[in-house]
Parts: sequence; C-alpha cells; structure tokens
Amino acid sequence: MALSIPVSEPIARRRLPAWLRGAPWLAFLVLTIVLVCAVGGEDILPDDPNGLNLADAFRPPFWAAKGSAAHLLGTDNMGRDILSRILAGSQISAIVCAYAILFSGCIGALAGMAAGYFGGIVDAVLMRLIEIQQSIPSIALALILAAAMEPGLTTVIVVIVLTYWAWYARIIRGEVMTLKGRDYVNFARVAGVGTPTILVRHLLPNIFNTLIILATLQVGQVILFEASLSFLGLGIQQPDISWGLMLADARQYITSAWWLITMPGIAIMLTCRSANILGDWLRDRLDPRLRQL
Amino acid sequence: MLEADAITKHYRTSRGTVRAVEGVSFSLPKRGTLALVGESGCGKTTIAKMVLLLERPSGGAIRFEGQDIATMPRLALKAYRRRVQAVFQDPYASLNPRLRVGRIIAEPILAHERPGRAALDKRIAEVLDIVGLPAAAARLYPHEFSGGQRQRIAIARALAPRPELMVLDEPVSALDVSIRAQVLNLLQDIQDEYGLTYLIIAHDLALVQHFSSSVAVIYLGRVAEAGPTGPVFADPRHPYTQALLAAVPLPDPDHVLSEAAAAGEIASALHPPSGCAFHPRCPHAFAACPASVPPPHAVADGHIAACHLLQETHA
Amino acid sequence: MLLQVEQLRTYLHLRRGVLRAVDGVSLHVAEAETLGLVGESGSGKTMTGLSLLRLLPRGAGRIEGGSIRLDGQDLTALTEADMARDIRGRRIAMIMQDPMTSLNPVFSIGDQVAAPLRYHDIASGAVLRSQVIDVLKRVRIPSPEQRLGDYPHQFSGGQRQRIVAAMAIGCTPRLLIADEPTTALDVTIQVQIISLLKRIQQDAGLGIVLITHDLGVAASLCHRIAVMYAGQIVETAPVRAIYKAPAHPYTQALLAAIPRLHATERRLTAIPGQPPSLIDPPEGCRFAARCPHRMDRCAEPPPVVDLGNGHSAACWKLAA
Repeated sequence: MALSIPVSEPIARRRLPAWLRGAPWLAFLVLTIVLVCAVGGEDILPDDPNGLNLADAFRPPFWAAKGSAAHLLGTDNMGRDILSRILAGSQISAIVCAYAILFSGCIGALAGMAAGYFGGIVDAVLMRLIEIQQSIPSIALALILAAAMEPGLTTVIVVIVLTYWAWYARIIRGEVMTLKGRDYVNFARVAGVGTPTILVRHLLPNIFNTLIILATLQVGQVILFEASLSFLGLGIQQPDISWGLMLADARQYITSAWWLITMPGIAIMLTCRSANILGDWLRDRLDPRLRQL
Repeated sequence: MLEADAITKHYRTSRGTVRAVEGVSFSLPKRGTLALVGESGCGKTTIAKMVLLLERPSGGAIRFEGQDIATMPRLALKAYRRRVQAVFQDPYASLNPRLRVGRIIAEPILAHERPGRAALDKRIAEVLDIVGLPAAAARLYPHEFSGGQRQRIAIARALAPRPELMVLDEPVSALDVSIRAQVLNLLQDIQDEYGLTYLIIAHDLALVQHFSSSVAVIYLGRVAEAGPTGPVFADPRHPYTQALLAAVPLPDPDHVLSEAAAAGEIASALHPPSGCAFHPRCPHAFAACPASVPPPHAVADGHIAACHLLQETHA
Repeated sequence: MLLQVEQLRTYLHLRRGVLRAVDGVSLHVAEAETLGLVGESGSGKTMTGLSLLRLLPRGAGRIEGGSIRLDGQDLTALTEADMARDIRGRRIAMIMQDPMTSLNPVFSIGDQVAAPLRYHDIASGAVLRSQVIDVLKRVRIPSPEQRLGDYPHQFSGGQRQRIVAAMAIGCTPRLLIADEPTTALDVTIQVQIISLLKRIQQDAGLGIVLITHDLGVAASLCHRIAVMYAGQIVETAPVRAIYKAPAHPYTQALLAAIPRLHATERRLTAIPGQPPSLIDPPEGCRFAARCPHRMDRCAEPPPVVDLGNGHSAACWKLAA
C-alpha cells in the first residue's frame, strides 16, 4: 500500500568496526597517558620530579607572564617541575587503584555472591558484617590503622580494601538475588546442575558487567581517597609523590600560586572522569544484548 | 505418573501467612496433558515450582511413579531431575544471555552424563533439528534469535536429557499470535513422537481447551473444578469456571461478553475469604458459602467441582 | 471526520539503521467509533499510536511524512508547545498497558486524576474536587470521596486501570488511544475494563483507537478494524467483515492460527516464518515470503483494493 521510500542517510559512521563505534577516545587517551607514566617510571619524565631548585620556585605555567617553556605547568614552592610530579604521581595512583580494586572487588564479589545465592544464615552473618563495616567512618578506620601500621602505600591499600569490599558485596548480593530468580537459573536447578556450576556459569558472567562498572567507578573514588589520606598525612609519605600529597603541600599557597593546587586537581578530575566514561562504554560493549544496537 | 496429594504451600511473611496453595490434589497419567488454569496469584505457578523441586510443599506429597519426591533416595532424585524438565514463559529470561546456544542445550545433558565431544554435538544437533532449527544455531548467542526461535531453543534444551515429563509454564504467552501456533504445534508433535507427559500452566482458556486433555481450575490455592477438558468446558459446574469461560473474548463480533459472571477481583492469598474463597464474587452465593469450604463433588466420571450448590442439589 | 491520518510515515533512526516502524499508514476514526489497530509486536501499531500524540522516542523517532488531522487540524504542523497545551491529554488522551507504571506510586490518586484538569486549567478548588469525584464515579471506583487520598498500591490491578482511564477522560478528550489496555489483566477483570471502555464511549461520544494483538478483545470492542503488518495496514474493514470474510491472506492466516474456545480442531494452522526486518523491508508485499498465495507480482508493492462497504485490502490476489 505504501510506495517504497529510499532510505535516508544512516546516522552511524560506517568505517570503523562496529564494536569500536562511539568509543570514548579522549577518556581512553587520558588513561593511557596515566598508565604509560605509571609503568614508564622516571625515564620518560621531562624533569626530575624531586629536583630542588629554589631559585626557580613558584614559576607559573608557560602561558602566564614569567612562565617558561621548560616548566610547562610551572614549578612549586621548592622549584620542582609540576608536570613531572603529576606524571610521577600517577604511578602511586595506578598502584593503589590496581591493588585496592582487585582485592576489594574479589572479596566483595565472593561475599556478595555467597550472601545472595545461599541466603539464610550465610546472608545474615555477612550482612551484619557489612553493616558493622559501613558504620565505621573510613577516615577513623584509616586513623586507627595508620596508628597500628606504618603510614604508607600498604596502609592506604588496606584501608581502601576494608572500606570498599562491603560496597561491592552489598550491590553484588542484590544483583545475585535477582539473577537467582531468573528462569535460566531455575532451569539449571531443575535439570540437576550443581551449585558451583550455577555460580560460575550462570551468575558470575552476569554480574561481570556490574563488577566492571563498580570497578571503574571505584577508580575515581580510590584516587580521591588516596588523595585525602595523603592530604591528611595518613597515606603516602614524602619523598614519594602522590596527587593528594601535592594538594596538601599546595594548600598554604592557594592564594599566591593557584597552579600548585589546580594542576594536580585537574589531573585527579580528568582521570576520574575518564575512568567513569570508559566504564560506561565497556559495559555497553560487554553485554551481548546491547552489542547489536 | 505424577500425583499431587493435598499439597499446600504457605509462605510466612512479616504481614502474615500467605496461603498460596491449600490442599491441591491431581493426578496426571503417562502421555497425558494436564492444564492448571486460573488467574494470576491463584497458586498455579507455585504448584509447578513444587513439582520442579524449586519449592518444598508445606504439607501433602507429590508422587512420581508412586514415590514421594520429597523423600526420594539420592539416586532416584537424580534420575527425577533428568526425567522432569521445564519450559518457562519468557524466552528472554530463560536463556542465559552469556552462553552460546550449544552450551545452553548441553547443560542439562552434562548434569547427568559425560558424553564425548562428538556425541554431545550430535545430540545438540538432533534436538535442534527436532525443534526446527539448523545445527549452526548452536554457535550463536540467544539474542541473535527472535522470541519464537528462543522458545524453540528452550524446548530443545528441555528435550536434550530425554525427559518423560515436561512442565510448561505459560509456554507461548510471551509470543506473538502468528508464532504461538508454530510453537504449540511443535509441542504437540513432540508429545506424539516421544510419548511425553505435559503439565501445562496457562491462563488462556482457548489454548488449554485446544492443547490439554484434562484441566484443573484453581482459585486462591484450591481446585475449583477439574476433569477432562471437553466436559469441563462444555458443561462447567463451578460458578468460577462459568465466569472464566464467559469472560473470554472470542474472535467473533457476534459473541456477547458477560460481565456479570464474576464481580470484583481475586482476593489476596494473605487474607482469603472464609469458606468458599470465591463467594464474595459469586453470583449464586448463599448462606453455606462463607461458612465452610465446599468439598470436591463428583459430577461425572472424573469431573469434580467444589461448590455448595452441587451439594444442595444432590443432597 | 474526527481523526484522519494520511500516508503517515514514522521512522526510528537507530545505530544499526533506519527502522521504518510506520510506513505509509492511512486510517480514519469517526466520532463515537472504535477503530481496532490489530497486529503483532513490531508491526508498528504502538508507534502509530505514539505518532498521533507525537510522543516518539526522543532523538530516534521522527515523523517523516504524511498528515494527522484531528477535526481538520493538521497535528504534524503544530509546535511542540501547542501539542502539549492543546492536544495531549486535552483532545487526545492515552491509556497504556500497565496500570502500575502509568500511575506514580508517591502521589494520591486524587492528585493524579486532578493533575491533567489542573494543567489544562479546566478546574480548580472545590470544582476540581467535585470533578475528580465525578470522573472516578464514571469509571466505577466505589466511594471515591473516601478514596481520593489513597495511593495506587492500595488499589487492585483492575481498579488501577480504572483510575488510569479516569485520568484519560477527565479533560473530556475527543479521541482516546488505548494501547493494550487489558493485556496485563486477568480475563475476568479484562471483561470489566472492556465494558467500562464501551460505556465511556457511549457517555462521551469519543473516538477510540484500540491498539491490541488480541483478536478476541478487538472483536468485542471495535466497530472497525485495521490489520497492521510490518509497518503497513494490510486490511481495513468493519468488524464483521474482518472476522466473517477476511480478504487479505495475512488476516486469514492470523484468524486460523488462534486456538478457539469450543472448537475441536487438533492442529492449528501456523504461519511459517517471521515478519521481515523493518530496517531493510522487502520492496513488494511484505507478507509475500510467508504467504500461501504468493505469485510473481508480489515482488511489487500491492495496490489497495476497495472491496466495497468500507472494506479494503492491499493484495495482488484481490487486484486480479
């Protein structure tokens, strides 16, 4: 009844392979830079991040008056190159992120799956533990741990893992409780499939998305957490470099030399935002149901 | 083959006890088809779950070939799990989106035996062929299929371990009209060919009459009327069955729907009405109805109805 | 004519291509008439309904051509603000499938039924309250005076759909679009809602577009029926003609494929295959691939053949 109508120009770009269409290139680039700096070490830095040069202190970024091309983002109160310090600081951020996310994710996912799938007493015990954990302010926890252990990288990681496993566990538990009621899980139970198989084959792949999202969201939070701990003096100690520590050092110069506090702030913001964007994109790509869209 | 003897299921909740199933009995002979029909919340799905061992009855017993499935020895239980399979309503929720179709179909086989790679692939191709899908389908993911094809995959998966009883929970209600007939015909062919026994949960009465040899009408956890489908539908004796049948809109503009047959809506299983649970909606309710639960009354060979009206007339 | 739609085309621009959801649909609805838009999921019936209100998926959905005239006024020419102020909820109202998601759980039903009246400045204060009570009475909510402050969860499924209907008819619209209004309900409740819709129509003389996949519901409620397949209307006829003398092979196949109460056939006549993709639909008749009467000419778009008495169908077999 209707005549055939010529199809109008499709909106999608045609040249890229389908799974790469709409990839967040900018976010990808930012994170790659962070990673390269983290792995590359001091060799790739433009300047020695700990090289003192009091004569060259408080040099503003290159575009400002008195700025210099030798220190693109300026220098701090001791004349150290800020760009180099930010790039070196990414190493701490990456290490903290990797360990903290790995451990808190694994512990949380295991606890959440156990609580959600088995229910009953397992669930009750784990949920009480989670509630106890979440009722302790993490900064207080950090203070206690820092007093008990030595402030430093390990303490930062332990505090973050202890704070975040419950967050994972709670969300995974809810997810598993819904998945448990899905008919394909019901069918597996009807067919006599064993519990380990159900957990590994039916539940784990389906909570993987959630884990990816939580992990990428956590990247931002971990960086901020590490920064706050270091800022408070409970985390990374001099002469190690961390973005949080840079913020702490810059605090007293906030009115006189704005770039000291702004530059590491921007680094934190860019990294966190990029991680979130990449996480959203990954989720869409990883889900076979969304892949066809 | 399958027998339910006064099974009950109560759930304790913070607001009180939900009486989902209250003493339901039925028997299902080998190669037979029994349909459980009723409105949502009547308990028919709970009954299916108890047959599938997804829920444990609070009382009564379900017997498979004379053996109580709740107290079956380990080995018999394992065999039961192979011999009884299920097809669920929503073909989008019943297939794991993360697994390839071949893997999905292999799962119930692998739960019971360890065939070699080649033998397994052959079995998968066989059941895919039975449901009318090419063997190549095994390499794809569920989302690459339409709703009707997915339901075929779900049927293939249920067939894979060579079951004897299949529980079909609303097997076509999520499908389009033109696809429904394909799937219903397929299920009938499979039954004829392999001598399967079906327990089907449905709300579509026309489908039940077409598909099933016997029927049990459930209202608020109790059997209102049961018997061979023909007589029950041709001569319904329980006012609820009459109301259900009168409310089905027929694809016939000359058919007049009767609104009067059942007033109001189904009560909550949390606070079921006293006596006959249907009495608040029943156009024929009288003094005896709220007072006591009507016992099942045999109105013809194999045809029972639980209604006080029948007691009166036969007393 | 109350509603006159001519050659409506609504496309969805998706990442994987342009989906021609509604592809040249023409239909009309008279006052106090119910038109059934019958089809399977993906046939474009819901998109047709949404196009009438211009409520298409943001970003993706666009009306590409054709006209929608309500009392002679072309809705495709109106601005978005005009649509919101004068048309949606005011002159065209809609009832959707699921009463639970149509009602906001955090507002009382009195508030929700009053909202469209208030928005369109129809009533306020005590007049508003009495109008709300009146419209709730019309949809047979028992003792509405006492229940104005109750929340959706305090009502049963059937009553919720009545409340949704009350929201829709409060502003005395000219046209009601009912998208699968009974699909989520049990059969004994469905029959109550069907007769409610009939009564509303008799009281107010409004036109209804009933979107449904259920040929039984359509038969019991509609005056005329338009059968949709793959984005197009394949057959339009008065209700008796559709069921007693279906002309298009798809309508015939659809009627043969549904199990019937009190019929004895053991096997249903299934329609082989599946509907075509609307991203790249076939040039000619879209049903041809599944049609038992297929011939060579079906590769070209079929003509709409007038069979008299308001009955028409798009099929080459009828043109011969």
